[in-house]
Amino acid sequence: MGYEELFPKNDVDGWHANAAKRFASPFVDNPHDRIDVDPIMLSHAAVACGFTIRDFYEKPELGIHCVGYISEMYDLLPVTHWFFSLPWIRELGMTLEYKDTLPPVPTGPILSSPEEIEALEPISKEDLKKGTTLPMFYNLYDYVSEHLAHTLVPISYGFDLVGAPAELIGVEEFIMYTFTEPDLAHKLVDTFVETSIAGADGLSDKYGSAMLIVGSVLANNDIFADEQVEEFSANYMRKYVDQSFRRGAGPQVFYHLCGNHETSYKVFRDKLVWSPFTVMHVGYQGPKVFPGELLKEEFEDVATCLGSVDTKLMINPNPKAVYEQSKELLLATRDAKKGYILGNSCECPPYTIPGNLLAMTRAARDYGTYGTW
Amino acid sequence: MEFIFSAEVKDVLARRGLKEDDVKAVVEYGESSKDKIVSGDRNLAKKEIGDITVYAEYGVNGGKATITTAYSHRMKVLGIVLDSEDTDWVYAKNGEKVRGGHTDLSFMGTTRSGPSLVEPKSGESWIEEYLAASALAAAEGLFEQKRA
Repeated sequence: MGYEELFPKNDVDGWHANAAKRFASPFVDNPHDRIDVDPIMLSHAAVACGFTIRDFYEKPELGIHCVGYISEMYDLLPVTHWFFSLPWIRELGMTLEYKDTLPPVPTGPILSSPEEIEALEPISKEDLKKGTTLPMFYNLYDYVSEHLAHTLVPISYGFDLVGAPAELIGVEEFIMYTFTEPDLAHKLVDTFVETSIAGADGLSDKYGSAMLIVGSVLANNDIFADEQVEEFSANYMRKYVDQSFRRGAGPQVFYHLCGNHETSYKVFRDKLVWSPFTVMHVGYQGPKVFPGELLKEEFEDVATCLGSVDTKLMINPNPKAVYEQSKELLLATRDAKKGYILGNSCECPPYTIPGNLLAMTRAARDYGTYGTW
Repeated sequence: MEFIFSAEVKDVLARRGLKEDDVKAVVEYGESSKDKIVSGDRNLAKKEIGDITVYAEYGVNGGKATITTAYSHRMKVLGIVLDSEDTDWVYAKNGEKVRGGHTDLSFMGTTRSGPSLVEPKSGESWIEEYLAASALAAAEGLFEQKRA
Protein backbone atom coordinates (compact mmCIF):
# COMPACT_ATOMS: atom_id res chain seq x y z
CA MET A 1 0.00 0.00 0.00
CA GLY A 2 1.35 3.44 -0.89
CA TYR A 3 1.18 6.34 1.54
CA GLU A 4 -1.34 8.04 -0.75
CA GLU A 5 -3.90 5.42 0.29
CA LEU A 6 -3.78 6.73 3.86
CA PHE A 7 -5.18 10.14 2.97
CA PRO A 8 -8.41 11.46 1.48
CA LYS A 9 -7.77 13.84 -1.40
CA ASN A 10 -7.50 17.56 -0.68
CA ASP A 11 -10.47 19.73 -1.58
CA VAL A 12 -8.67 20.86 -4.73
CA ASP A 13 -11.44 22.97 -6.25
CA GLY A 14 -12.49 24.58 -2.99
CA TRP A 15 -9.88 25.05 -0.29
CA HIS A 16 -6.83 24.58 -2.50
CA ALA A 17 -7.99 26.88 -5.28
CA ASN A 18 -8.60 29.64 -2.75
CA ALA A 19 -5.33 29.00 -0.91
CA ALA A 20 -3.45 29.14 -4.22
CA LYS A 21 -4.87 32.59 -4.98
CA ARG A 22 -3.96 33.74 -1.48
CA PHE A 23 -0.44 32.32 -1.80
CA ALA A 24 0.12 34.12 -5.11
CA SER A 25 -1.21 37.47 -3.93
CA PRO A 26 1.90 39.00 -2.28
CA PHE A 27 4.06 38.10 -5.27
CA VAL A 28 1.80 39.45 -7.99
CA ASP A 29 0.28 42.47 -6.24
CA ASN A 30 -3.14 40.90 -6.57
CA PRO A 31 -4.64 40.97 -3.06
CA HIS A 32 -6.89 38.05 -2.22
CA ASP A 33 -8.86 37.35 0.95
CA ARG A 34 -6.20 37.78 3.65
CA ILE A 35 -2.51 37.61 4.42
CA ASP A 36 -1.18 34.07 4.25
CA VAL A 37 0.09 32.06 7.22
CA ASP A 38 3.19 29.90 6.83
CA PRO A 39 4.22 28.46 10.18
CA ILE A 40 7.04 26.49 8.47
CA MET A 41 5.23 23.22 8.84
CA LEU A 42 7.44 20.12 9.07
CA SER A 43 7.09 17.18 11.44
CA HIS A 44 4.07 18.69 13.21
CA ALA A 45 2.15 17.63 10.11
CA ALA A 46 3.07 13.99 10.78
CA VAL A 47 2.23 14.28 14.49
CA ALA A 48 -1.13 15.87 13.63
CA CYS A 49 -1.88 12.92 11.36
CA GLY A 50 -0.99 10.36 14.05
CA PHE A 51 2.55 9.53 12.93
CA THR A 52 5.85 10.24 14.65
CA ILE A 53 8.62 12.77 14.17
CA ARG A 54 10.83 9.88 13.12
CA ASP A 55 8.24 8.80 10.52
CA PHE A 56 8.31 12.30 9.06
CA TYR A 57 12.03 12.24 8.41
CA GLU A 58 12.54 8.55 7.72
CA LYS A 59 9.66 8.33 5.23
CA PRO A 60 9.83 11.54 3.18
CA GLU A 61 6.85 10.68 0.95
CA LEU A 62 4.68 10.06 4.02
CA GLY A 63 6.01 13.26 5.60
CA ILE A 64 5.25 15.46 2.62
CA HIS A 65 1.80 13.93 2.20
CA CYS A 66 1.08 14.84 5.84
CA VAL A 67 2.13 18.44 5.09
CA GLY A 68 -0.12 18.62 2.04
CA TYR A 69 -3.05 17.08 3.86
CA ILE A 70 -2.88 18.97 7.15
CA SER A 71 -2.37 22.37 5.47
CA GLU A 72 -6.03 22.19 4.47
CA MET A 73 -7.15 21.77 8.09
CA TYR A 74 -5.16 24.82 9.21
CA ASP A 75 -5.89 26.77 5.98
CA LEU A 76 -2.18 27.29 5.27
CA LEU A 77 -0.13 27.19 2.07
CA PRO A 78 -1.27 25.32 -1.04
CA VAL A 79 2.25 23.97 -1.62
CA THR A 80 4.26 21.24 0.05
CA HIS A 81 7.80 21.09 1.36
CA TRP A 82 9.82 18.49 3.21
CA PHE A 83 13.33 18.90 4.48
CA PHE A 84 15.83 18.66 7.27
CA SER A 85 18.77 20.95 7.88
CA LEU A 86 21.62 18.70 6.76
CA PRO A 87 21.28 17.90 3.05
CA TRP A 88 24.30 16.78 1.02
CA ILE A 89 26.56 15.93 3.96
CA ARG A 90 26.11 12.19 3.54
CA GLU A 91 27.74 12.53 0.14
CA LEU A 92 30.63 14.32 1.87
CA GLY A 93 31.13 11.23 4.03
CA MET A 94 28.99 11.77 7.12
CA THR A 95 26.55 9.30 8.58
CA LEU A 96 23.15 10.47 9.77
CA GLU A 97 21.17 8.70 12.43
CA TYR A 98 17.39 8.84 12.63
CA LYS A 99 15.98 9.74 16.05
CA ASP A 100 12.51 9.37 17.55
CA THR A 101 12.18 13.00 18.57
CA LEU A 102 14.57 14.88 16.30
CA PRO A 103 15.47 15.35 12.66
CA PRO A 104 18.38 13.12 11.55
CA VAL A 105 21.60 13.95 13.41
CA PRO A 106 25.22 13.25 12.44
CA THR A 107 26.94 10.42 14.28
CA GLY A 108 30.05 12.56 14.73
CA PRO A 109 32.77 14.50 12.95
CA ILE A 110 34.67 12.73 10.21
CA LEU A 111 37.59 15.10 9.72
CA SER A 112 40.19 15.86 12.34
CA SER A 113 43.28 17.27 10.67
CA PRO A 114 44.02 20.26 8.43
CA GLU A 115 45.32 17.81 5.80
CA GLU A 116 41.97 16.03 5.70
CA ILE A 117 40.16 19.34 5.27
CA GLU A 118 42.55 20.43 2.53
CA ALA A 119 41.85 17.18 0.69
CA LEU A 120 38.08 17.67 0.77
CA GLU A 121 36.53 18.08 -2.68
CA PRO A 122 33.01 19.20 -3.68
CA ILE A 123 30.75 16.44 -4.97
CA SER A 124 29.86 16.75 -8.64
CA LYS A 125 26.31 16.68 -9.96
CA GLU A 126 26.95 13.29 -11.54
CA ASP A 127 28.15 11.83 -8.25
CA LEU A 128 25.24 13.40 -6.36
CA LYS A 129 22.90 11.56 -8.71
CA LYS A 130 24.48 8.31 -7.48
CA GLY A 131 24.32 9.38 -3.83
CA THR A 132 21.56 9.57 -1.25
CA THR A 133 20.19 13.12 -1.11
CA LEU A 134 19.44 13.89 -4.75
CA PRO A 135 17.73 10.54 -5.48
CA MET A 136 15.76 11.03 -2.26
CA PHE A 137 14.49 14.39 -3.53
CA TYR A 138 13.81 12.91 -7.00
CA ASN A 139 11.69 10.18 -5.36
CA LEU A 140 9.96 12.74 -3.17
CA TYR A 141 8.99 15.10 -5.98
CA ASP A 142 8.05 12.23 -8.27
CA TYR A 143 5.68 11.09 -5.53
CA VAL A 144 4.25 14.60 -5.18
CA SER A 145 3.90 14.87 -8.98
CA GLU A 146 1.87 11.67 -8.97
CA HIS A 147 -0.23 12.06 -5.84
CA LEU A 148 -0.22 15.74 -4.81
CA ALA A 149 0.52 17.47 -8.09
CA HIS A 150 -1.48 20.55 -7.09
CA THR A 151 1.06 21.19 -4.30
CA LEU A 152 4.29 20.56 -6.22
CA VAL A 153 7.21 22.98 -5.88
CA PRO A 154 10.59 21.27 -6.45
CA ILE A 155 12.91 22.73 -3.83
CA SER A 156 16.66 22.43 -3.45
CA TYR A 157 18.22 23.11 -0.07
CA GLY A 158 21.51 24.78 0.69
CA PHE A 159 20.48 24.95 4.28
CA ASP A 160 22.58 25.73 6.50
CA LEU A 161 25.70 26.71 4.55
CA VAL A 162 27.78 27.19 7.71
CA GLY A 163 26.21 24.77 10.17
CA ALA A 164 26.23 21.76 7.87
CA PRO A 165 29.94 21.87 6.92
CA ALA A 166 30.77 22.66 10.56
CA GLU A 167 29.49 19.18 11.42
CA LEU A 168 32.31 17.68 9.35
CA ILE A 169 34.84 18.68 12.02
CA GLY A 170 32.46 19.33 14.89
CA VAL A 171 30.69 22.62 15.50
CA GLU A 172 32.93 23.81 18.38
CA GLU A 173 36.07 23.03 16.42
CA PHE A 174 34.67 24.86 13.40
CA ILE A 175 33.93 27.97 15.45
CA MET A 176 37.54 27.91 16.70
CA TYR A 177 38.77 27.55 13.13
CA THR A 178 36.93 30.70 12.06
CA PHE A 179 39.30 32.56 14.42
CA THR A 180 42.48 30.50 14.28
CA GLU A 181 42.40 28.86 10.82
CA PRO A 182 39.96 30.90 8.74
CA ASP A 183 41.27 29.49 5.45
CA LEU A 184 40.33 25.99 6.58
CA ALA A 185 36.91 27.19 7.74
CA HIS A 186 36.41 28.76 4.31
CA LYS A 187 37.52 25.54 2.62
CA LEU A 188 34.86 23.60 4.53
CA VAL A 189 32.07 26.07 3.77
CA ASP A 190 33.07 26.49 0.14
CA THR A 191 33.15 22.72 -0.41
CA PHE A 192 29.66 22.39 1.02
CA VAL A 193 28.38 25.35 -1.01
CA GLU A 194 29.82 23.96 -4.25
CA THR A 195 28.17 20.62 -3.48
CA SER A 196 24.86 22.33 -2.73
CA ILE A 197 25.06 24.22 -6.03
CA ALA A 198 25.59 20.91 -7.82
CA GLY A 199 22.50 19.63 -5.99
CA ALA A 200 20.40 22.58 -7.19
CA ASP A 201 21.74 21.99 -10.69
CA GLY A 202 20.72 18.33 -10.51
CA LEU A 203 17.24 19.17 -9.32
CA SER A 204 16.62 21.88 -11.91
CA ASP A 205 17.89 19.48 -14.61
CA LYS A 206 15.02 17.16 -13.83
CA TYR A 207 12.20 19.58 -13.02
CA GLY A 208 13.12 22.63 -15.13
CA SER A 209 13.43 24.89 -12.12
CA ALA A 210 14.14 24.59 -8.42
CA MET A 211 13.15 26.85 -5.58
CA LEU A 212 16.13 27.53 -3.31
CA ILE A 213 15.96 27.50 0.48
CA VAL A 214 19.05 28.71 2.26
CA GLY A 215 19.64 29.85 5.81
CA SER A 216 22.06 31.55 8.12
CA VAL A 217 21.55 29.43 11.19
CA LEU A 218 24.82 28.71 12.98
CA ALA A 219 26.08 32.08 11.71
CA ASN A 220 24.10 34.34 14.01
CA ASN A 221 24.90 36.97 16.63
CA ASP A 222 24.85 34.51 19.54
CA ILE A 223 28.06 33.06 18.10
CA PHE A 224 29.55 35.46 15.58
CA ALA A 225 30.10 39.18 15.12
CA ASP A 226 28.47 40.83 12.12
CA GLU A 227 31.74 40.73 10.16
CA GLN A 228 31.95 36.95 10.53
CA VAL A 229 28.30 36.47 9.63
CA GLU A 230 29.03 38.40 6.44
CA GLU A 231 32.30 36.58 5.74
CA PHE A 232 31.18 33.02 6.43
CA SER A 233 27.46 33.18 5.71
CA ALA A 234 26.12 36.10 3.64
CA ASN A 235 28.90 35.88 1.05
CA TYR A 236 28.30 32.17 0.58
CA MET A 237 24.52 32.53 0.50
CA ARG A 238 25.05 34.95 -2.36
CA LYS A 239 27.36 32.50 -4.11
CA TYR A 240 24.91 29.64 -3.64
CA VAL A 241 21.95 31.50 -5.12
CA ASP A 242 23.92 33.26 -7.88
CA GLN A 243 25.62 30.08 -9.06
CA SER A 244 22.46 28.00 -8.75
CA PHE A 245 20.58 30.55 -10.87
CA ARG A 246 23.36 30.34 -13.47
CA ARG A 247 22.65 26.59 -13.66
CA GLY A 248 18.92 26.96 -14.15
CA ALA A 249 17.59 26.93 -10.57
CA GLY A 250 15.23 29.52 -9.14
CA PRO A 251 13.37 31.78 -9.52
CA GLN A 252 11.91 31.29 -6.02
CA VAL A 253 14.20 31.87 -3.05
CA PHE A 254 13.51 31.60 0.66
CA TYR A 255 16.13 33.16 2.95
CA HIS A 256 15.87 32.01 6.56
CA LEU A 257 17.95 33.93 9.09
CA CYS A 258 17.52 31.65 12.07
CA GLY A 259 18.23 32.51 15.67
CA ASN A 260 19.50 35.85 16.89
CA HIS A 261 20.35 38.34 14.13
CA GLU A 262 20.25 41.35 16.41
CA THR A 263 22.63 43.43 14.27
CA SER A 264 23.82 40.95 11.64
CA TYR A 265 20.58 41.35 9.71
CA LYS A 266 22.26 44.47 8.29
CA VAL A 267 24.87 42.52 6.33
CA PHE A 268 22.39 40.69 4.09
CA ARG A 269 20.49 43.30 2.09
CA ASP A 270 23.42 44.43 -0.04
CA LYS A 271 24.89 40.94 -0.33
CA LEU A 272 22.10 38.58 -1.30
CA VAL A 273 20.51 37.89 -4.66
CA TRP A 274 16.89 39.05 -4.80
CA SER A 275 14.72 37.41 -7.44
CA PRO A 276 11.13 38.45 -8.20
CA PHE A 277 9.96 35.57 -5.98
CA THR A 278 12.06 36.00 -2.85
CA VAL A 279 10.86 35.64 0.74
CA MET A 280 12.95 37.03 3.61
CA HIS A 281 12.62 35.69 7.12
CA VAL A 282 14.50 36.73 10.28
CA GLY A 283 13.87 34.84 13.52
CA TYR A 284 14.99 36.84 16.52
CA GLN A 285 16.52 40.11 17.61
CA GLY A 286 18.25 39.13 20.84
CA PRO A 287 15.77 37.14 22.93
CA LYS A 288 12.74 38.72 21.25
CA VAL A 289 11.16 37.91 17.92
CA PHE A 290 12.46 40.06 15.10
CA PRO A 291 10.34 43.24 14.96
CA GLY A 292 7.97 43.55 12.03
CA GLU A 293 8.77 47.25 11.57
CA LEU A 294 12.48 46.53 11.20
CA LEU A 295 11.93 43.59 8.85
CA LYS A 296 9.82 45.82 6.65
CA GLU A 297 12.21 48.76 6.76
CA GLU A 298 15.22 46.67 5.80
CA PHE A 299 13.80 44.26 3.24
CA GLU A 300 10.46 45.45 1.82
CA ASP A 301 12.11 46.92 -1.29
CA VAL A 302 13.61 43.60 -2.30
CA ALA A 303 11.49 40.77 -0.95
CA THR A 304 8.24 39.53 0.49
CA CYS A 305 8.63 39.59 4.28
CA LEU A 306 7.86 36.56 6.47
CA GLY A 307 7.04 37.42 10.08
CA SER A 308 8.07 35.59 13.22
CA VAL A 309 5.61 34.50 15.88
CA ASP A 310 7.77 33.05 18.66
CA THR A 311 7.95 29.26 18.33
CA LYS A 312 8.03 29.03 22.12
CA LEU A 313 4.50 30.38 22.18
CA MET A 314 3.34 27.62 19.85
CA ILE A 315 3.70 24.96 22.56
CA ASN A 316 2.35 27.16 25.34
CA PRO A 317 -1.33 26.52 26.17
CA ASN A 318 -2.28 30.13 25.59
CA PRO A 319 -3.76 30.76 22.13
CA LYS A 320 -4.53 34.36 23.12
CA ALA A 321 -0.81 35.10 23.47
CA VAL A 322 -0.22 33.74 19.95
CA TYR A 323 -3.14 35.79 18.67
CA GLU A 324 -1.82 39.00 20.28
CA GLN A 325 1.69 38.55 18.92
CA SER A 326 0.29 37.73 15.47
CA LYS A 327 -1.87 40.84 15.63
CA GLU A 328 1.11 43.01 16.60
CA LEU A 329 3.19 41.65 13.71
CA LEU A 330 0.37 42.00 11.21
CA LEU A 331 -0.32 45.61 12.16
CA ALA A 332 3.35 46.47 11.85
CA THR A 333 4.14 44.66 8.63
CA ARG A 334 0.99 43.91 6.65
CA ASP A 335 1.53 46.81 4.24
CA ALA A 336 5.10 45.80 3.30
CA LYS A 337 5.69 46.91 -0.29
CA LYS A 338 6.27 43.45 -1.73
CA GLY A 339 3.88 41.63 0.53
CA TYR A 340 3.83 39.96 3.90
CA ILE A 341 3.27 36.43 5.20
CA LEU A 342 2.71 35.62 8.86
CA GLY A 343 5.08 32.90 10.07
CA ASN A 344 6.86 31.41 13.05
CA SER A 345 10.37 32.35 14.12
CA CYS A 346 11.54 28.89 13.02
CA GLU A 347 10.04 25.47 12.29
CA CYS A 348 6.55 24.95 13.65
CA PRO A 349 7.35 22.79 16.72
CA PRO A 350 6.34 19.13 16.32
CA TYR A 351 3.97 19.28 19.28
CA THR A 352 2.45 22.65 18.41
CA ILE A 353 -0.95 23.08 19.98
CA PRO A 354 -3.55 23.19 17.18
CA GLY A 355 -5.39 26.01 18.98
CA ASN A 356 -2.25 28.14 18.59
CA LEU A 357 -2.18 27.63 14.83
CA LEU A 358 -5.82 28.60 14.74
CA ALA A 359 -4.88 31.75 16.67
CA MET A 360 -2.44 32.70 13.88
CA THR A 361 -4.98 32.23 11.10
CA ARG A 362 -7.66 33.93 13.17
CA ALA A 363 -5.39 36.96 13.60
CA ALA A 364 -4.68 36.94 9.84
CA ARG A 365 -8.44 36.93 9.18
CA ASP A 366 -9.00 39.75 11.67
CA TYR A 367 -6.02 41.98 10.86
CA GLY A 368 -4.63 40.70 7.58
CA THR A 369 -7.47 41.37 5.20
CA TYR A 370 -6.55 43.79 2.43
CA GLY A 371 -8.05 47.20 2.78
CA THR A 372 -7.08 50.76 3.44
CA TRP A 373 -4.30 50.33 5.95
CA MET B 1 27.54 46.61 -41.26
CA GLU B 2 28.05 42.93 -42.00
CA PHE B 3 26.65 40.41 -39.52
CA ILE B 4 28.00 36.96 -38.77
CA PHE B 5 25.74 34.37 -37.14
CA SER B 6 27.34 30.96 -36.55
CA ALA B 7 25.22 27.82 -36.84
CA GLU B 8 25.27 27.53 -33.03
CA VAL B 9 24.02 31.09 -32.60
CA LYS B 10 21.31 30.54 -35.22
CA ASP B 11 20.25 27.50 -33.24
CA VAL B 12 20.07 29.58 -30.03
CA LEU B 13 17.98 32.21 -31.82
CA ALA B 14 15.61 29.57 -33.13
CA ARG B 15 15.18 28.02 -29.68
CA ARG B 16 14.48 31.42 -28.16
CA GLY B 17 12.12 32.54 -30.92
CA LEU B 18 14.31 35.48 -31.94
CA LYS B 19 14.67 36.87 -35.45
CA GLU B 20 18.05 37.64 -36.99
CA ASP B 21 16.70 41.01 -38.17
CA ASP B 22 15.79 41.97 -34.61
CA VAL B 23 19.24 41.03 -33.37
CA LYS B 24 20.79 43.09 -36.17
CA ALA B 25 18.61 46.04 -35.15
CA VAL B 26 19.89 45.75 -31.56
CA VAL B 27 23.51 45.74 -32.72
CA GLU B 28 22.97 48.67 -35.08
CA TYR B 29 21.28 50.61 -32.29
CA GLY B 30 24.11 49.81 -29.84
CA GLU B 31 26.77 50.84 -32.32
CA SER B 32 25.12 54.04 -33.53
CA SER B 33 24.05 55.31 -30.08
CA LYS B 34 26.88 53.82 -27.95
CA ASP B 35 24.03 52.66 -25.70
CA LYS B 36 25.85 49.43 -24.94
CA ILE B 37 28.20 47.99 -22.34
CA VAL B 38 31.67 46.79 -23.19
CA SER B 39 34.10 44.35 -21.58
CA GLY B 40 37.28 43.78 -23.60
CA ASP B 41 36.06 42.80 -27.06
CA ARG B 42 32.59 41.87 -25.79
CA ASN B 43 29.69 44.25 -26.46
CA LEU B 44 26.21 43.92 -24.99
CA ALA B 45 23.38 46.04 -26.37
CA LYS B 46 19.63 45.95 -25.76
CA LYS B 47 16.60 47.38 -27.46
CA GLU B 48 12.89 47.20 -26.81
CA ILE B 49 11.22 45.63 -29.83
CA GLY B 50 7.48 45.35 -29.47
CA ASP B 51 6.69 43.89 -26.04
CA ILE B 52 10.10 42.37 -25.44
CA THR B 53 13.59 43.62 -24.73
CA VAL B 54 16.10 41.96 -27.04
CA TYR B 55 19.79 41.68 -26.15
CA ALA B 56 22.71 40.96 -28.45
CA GLU B 57 26.20 40.12 -27.35
CA TYR B 58 28.72 40.56 -30.11
CA GLY B 59 32.23 41.43 -31.18
CA VAL B 60 33.04 44.11 -33.77
CA ASN B 61 35.99 44.01 -36.13
CA GLY B 62 36.42 46.09 -39.31
CA GLY B 63 32.74 46.72 -39.90
CA LYS B 64 31.79 43.12 -39.16
CA ALA B 65 29.70 42.19 -36.11
CA THR B 66 30.02 38.62 -34.92
CA ILE B 67 27.02 37.70 -32.81
CA THR B 68 27.96 35.45 -29.88
CA THR B 69 24.53 35.15 -28.32
CA ALA B 70 21.13 36.82 -28.14
CA TYR B 71 18.24 36.60 -25.72
CA SER B 72 15.17 38.49 -24.56
CA HIS B 73 12.79 39.02 -21.69
CA ARG B 74 9.26 40.30 -21.41
CA MET B 75 9.63 42.13 -18.09
CA LYS B 76 10.03 45.89 -18.38
CA VAL B 77 13.20 47.24 -16.83
CA LEU B 78 12.49 50.03 -14.32
CA GLY B 79 14.73 51.76 -11.77
CA ILE B 80 17.83 50.54 -9.95
CA VAL B 81 17.15 49.17 -6.46
CA LEU B 82 20.66 48.21 -5.32
CA ASP B 83 24.18 48.38 -6.66
CA SER B 84 26.60 46.08 -4.96
CA GLU B 85 29.93 45.40 -6.66
CA ASP B 86 32.09 46.31 -9.64
CA THR B 87 32.07 44.24 -12.80
CA ASP B 88 34.35 44.23 -15.84
CA TRP B 89 31.71 46.00 -17.94
CA VAL B 90 31.82 49.72 -18.84
CA TYR B 91 28.89 51.75 -20.20
CA ALA B 92 30.11 52.99 -23.59
CA LYS B 93 27.87 56.05 -23.54
CA ASN B 94 29.44 57.70 -20.47
CA GLY B 95 32.53 55.60 -19.69
CA GLU B 96 31.21 54.70 -16.23
CA LYS B 97 31.88 51.33 -14.59
CA VAL B 98 28.92 48.97 -14.65
CA ARG B 99 28.13 47.30 -11.33
CA GLY B 100 26.31 44.19 -10.23
CA GLY B 101 23.03 45.06 -8.58
CA HIS B 102 19.29 44.79 -8.66
CA THR B 103 16.62 46.50 -10.70
CA ASP B 104 12.87 46.73 -10.39
CA LEU B 105 11.17 44.75 -13.14
CA SER B 106 7.55 45.16 -14.11
CA PHE B 107 5.34 42.48 -15.64
CA MET B 108 1.57 42.16 -15.85
CA GLY B 109 1.08 45.05 -13.46
CA THR B 110 3.48 43.71 -10.83
CA THR B 111 6.82 45.21 -9.89
CA ARG B 112 9.49 43.02 -8.28
CA SER B 113 13.25 43.30 -8.15
CA GLY B 114 15.74 41.05 -9.88
CA PRO B 115 19.52 40.74 -10.26
CA SER B 116 20.99 42.90 -13.00
CA LEU B 117 23.96 44.88 -14.24
CA VAL B 118 23.50 48.54 -13.35
CA GLU B 119 25.11 51.88 -14.09
CA PRO B 120 23.92 54.20 -11.32
CA LYS B 121 24.77 57.57 -12.94
CA SER B 122 22.62 56.97 -16.01
CA GLY B 123 20.12 54.75 -14.18
CA GLU B 124 20.49 52.11 -16.89
CA SER B 125 20.21 48.36 -16.22
CA TRP B 126 20.88 45.22 -18.22
CA ILE B 127 19.73 41.65 -17.55
CA GLU B 128 22.32 38.91 -18.07
CA GLU B 129 21.70 35.95 -20.31
CA TYR B 130 21.66 33.27 -17.60
CA LEU B 131 18.83 35.11 -15.85
CA ALA B 132 16.79 36.01 -18.90
CA ALA B 133 17.00 32.47 -20.24
CA SER B 134 16.13 30.61 -17.04
CA ALA B 135 15.10 32.26 -13.75
CA LEU B 136 13.37 35.29 -15.30
CA ALA B 137 11.70 33.20 -17.97
CA ALA B 138 10.40 30.91 -15.21
CA ALA B 139 9.32 33.97 -13.21
CA GLU B 140 7.39 35.32 -16.19
CA GLY B 141 5.63 31.95 -16.44
CA LEU B 142 4.82 32.01 -12.72
CA PHE B 143 3.43 35.54 -12.98
CA GLU B 144 1.14 34.40 -15.78
CA GLN B 145 0.04 31.33 -13.80
CA LYS B 146 -0.50 33.20 -10.55
CA ARG B 147 -2.28 36.10 -12.21
CA ALA B 148 -4.66 33.69 -13.91
